[in-house]
Amino acid sequence: MSRRFVINLVQGDTYLQKLNGTTKLGLFLIVMVYTMMSFDLRLLLPLFILSWIGLASLKPNYKLILGLFGFIFFMNFVNIILYYAVNQDVGSSYLNGTRTVLIQFNSYWYLTIETLWYLSVRQFKMMTSFMISMVFILSITPGELASGMSGLKIPYKISTVTSLAFRYIPEIFNDYETIKMSMQARGLELDKRRLNVIKRLKENMMILIPLIFTSFDRIGNIANALDLRGFGQGKSRTYYCEDPVTSRDKLFRGITILLIIFCISYMIYQNVNHFGMWFPFKI
Amino acid sequence: MKTPLIVFDNFTFKYDAQVEPTLHDINLTLYEGEKVLILGQSGSGKSTMVHCLNGLIPYSFKGKINGSLTIAGVDTLHTSIFQLSKIVGTVLQDSDAQFVALSVEDDVAFALENKSMPKKEMIPLVHYALNKVGMIDFLKQVPFELSGGQKQKVAVAGILHEDVKILLFDEPLASLDPVSNLRTVEMMDEMAQDGKTVIVVEHRFEDILHRKVDRVIVLEEGRIVFDGDVNRLLQEDILRKNGLREPLYVQALRMAKIDLKGLSLNQVQDVDFAHFKKQLSFLNDKHPLPPQKERLPLVEVKDVSFAYDPKKLVLKNISFKLYKGERLALVGQNGAGKSTLAKLLVGVIRPQSGSIEINGEDIKIYSIAEIANRIGYVMQNPNTMIVKHMIKEEVSLALTLRKYSSDAIDKAVTEALTITGLESMSHWPINALSYGQKKRLTVASILALKPEVLILDEPTAGQDYRHYTEIMDFLNEINVSAGISFIFITHDIHLAIEYTDRALVFSDGTLIKDARIFDALSDQSILERASLTQTSLYTLAQKCGFEPERVIENFILHKGLYE
Repeated sequence: MSRRFVINLVQGDTYLQKLNGTTKLGLFLIVMVYTMMSFDLRLLLPLFILSWIGLASLKPNYKLILGLFGFIFFMNFVNIILYYAVNQDVGSSYLNGTRTVLIQFNSYWYLTIETLWYLSVRQFKMMTSFMISMVFILSITPGELASGMSGLKIPYKISTVTSLAFRYIPEIFNDYETIKMSMQARGLELDKRRLNVIKRLKENMMILIPLIFTSFDRIGNIANALDLRGFGQGKSRTYYCEDPVTSRDKLFRGITILLIIFCISYMIYQNVNHFGMWFPFKI
Repeated sequence: MKTPLIVFDNFTFKYDAQVEPTLHDINLTLYEGEKVLILGQSGSGKSTMVHCLNGLIPYSFKGKINGSLTIAGVDTLHTSIFQLSKIVGTVLQDSDAQFVALSVEDDVAFALENKSMPKKEMIPLVHYALNKVGMIDFLKQVPFELSGGQKQKVAVAGILHEDVKILLFDEPLASLDPVSNLRTVEMMDEMAQDGKTVIVVEHRFEDILHRKVDRVIVLEEGRIVFDGDVNRLLQEDILRKNGLREPLYVQALRMAKIDLKGLSLNQVQDVDFAHFKKQLSFLNDKHPLPPQKERLPLVEVKDVSFAYDPKKLVLKNISFKLYKGERLALVGQNGAGKSTLAKLLVGVIRPQSGSIEINGEDIKIYSIAEIANRIGYVMQNPNTMIVKHMIKEEVSLALTLRKYSSDAIDKAVTEALTITGLESMSHWPINALSYGQKKRLTVASILALKPEVLILDEPTAGQDYRHYTEIMDFLNEINVSAGISFIFITHDIHLAIEYTDRALVFSDGTLIKDARIFDALSDQSILERASLTQTSLYTLAQKCGFEPERVIENFILHKGLYE
């Protein structure tokens, strides 16, 4: 039985995938800071467009991406509605206090242009960070992530644990399926139509006991395998999957540095001047 | 001039958690370039010896060491596991645990990465190692796509860096199909030809003898009871005395009361069977086919097909009958569809087309739990089945879940414990049981439901001969006394020969042979398609000009008398 992953375990050969792990991770981190630091549509829009171009260059499975996109959009939309319900004037507090009623639904409910703008930008920002994350996830392999992390001076034991997780979580899932099968054959009822949530959780606990024990056995074996292959002997280790730094990487690393400078200056400027968010419809 | 490479000098080791030492006064010198096989029952100290050689003792397993162990001039007490890993490469039994990276090439490079070798230097070494084991075309494969045999090859490539002198294989044949076993034995031999010192711990002696072995060490209760060549080992009858399995051809020679002194027994090819044709002629006796008894079909699989992915059928038009009291072997490569068939039989998955009937009733109307009252499933590893702390609770679990009355539960549990010989332990905690007893317990917990068929997945995997015989004889008793039918999913041809009535051979999702095991094994094209191999009895038969299937049949018949 083959299981398809959203993530790639082996490097592909598109432009972004070929970048060095450290380059990808560094760029991703700074772009996330860039997305988070402001509510300025002028900053977000170009990034959103770029992220779609980046995604297209990875030749992804669009059906899956659009499905995820829809799901994330919906979840954030619910969030936005809650924002609105809690404080109908939430936009005004961010937009220098002006308040322009667009629609008056009844004596209590209304919608201001400011709130509409603020909430729309908020949703847009969430979708941008989702897109950035997708491009990152699809362009990197767990091995490269580990090498990228060590390139950013994160201790290699931490990065190895992350890549080991990708290696063994599917195996543990397989164990779970086999144990579930034998427990069902012994009469364990797991049908959601016949059981309430609490009962089902209790029944699932029965599967967990052997699963935990077999996983412990496995972890013991993996620990031995790591020791026997000399893992942990030095202060650092190298990575076979690490791509050499090419001119392409230098270009992207340059962009990363420019972005770092931009973000720092922007944040300082924002803190000194206390300006509100950009709003083109000010009256 | 032979150079000593590994020297045990009055070596004794005791685990901190134990009272008695596991290895006693070992004095042993292994030389460079030797190919050594270590034999011994479970608990004889084999694994402990392996751990001493690769440094896990004293690095990970703490205990008290007396005497010394020197490897390539280095005292293992005064070195680190990392230093030792540069001289000794270990292939673990669990090839899944050893594959720690996410692609073949990354995994082979793992040890080099840990040495902080620059990528430029790693690439040629990784390619060299993968070429050596014949896996160069699999560079970018992920572990989830590889078979057990392929993972093992990658594990070997992963320890083949330039300065490794000793290759240590810990039960390399435990979970592979017969053809992969032969390939592994051949690969170990090539490594030995390349000048590596190869040390193998394995129960499957007959498979190991596919290639020459220089030296055999037999351990018993932590002491060396034999150290010599294969010939002497077999002539002096060391194996039987220590509860280990003899190769079938040697058993056959003993049955014929042939004096083994002075014979060359190293490999089955070496033996001049034709010379003993007269003494061996009982193996060629013709038996009239036993009169066909009126047999009642119990399970009937009718034209069943199944697919997980609509484009690829995992099982194609499978039809067979299982009769009451019959013992059936399901054999074939991993991925041939055996486990899928087992899942269909217990109702976890349902056929896409065709039907499965028990006593003439289609099981599609029943839930998994209802089918379990008729067909039980015992998994390979008992630890994946046991959920309770006490024996009695474990055996009664299925009945408690079905809300039986406590009287009915008591009665069924007592019965199941009696059949499995565990009644005197019914109030014991489960963690006091040995592996074999746990196996019995899992069988008891399924028998409590009084099924008519038991499916057992590799019931004896990784067990030594004594435990193998114990488990299989026990299952045989249940077969006779309770009239339960068995379906064994197995790679072990010996098991299929000795303990089953009929074999279903699968290849690539189709049932390619449904016959008595003797007949299935004598069909060369079937063997090739299902990755099965001949036993040494086949070579014996050929050399004497006997009918192979008849030889196997007579062998089984006489085996009971001979033991």
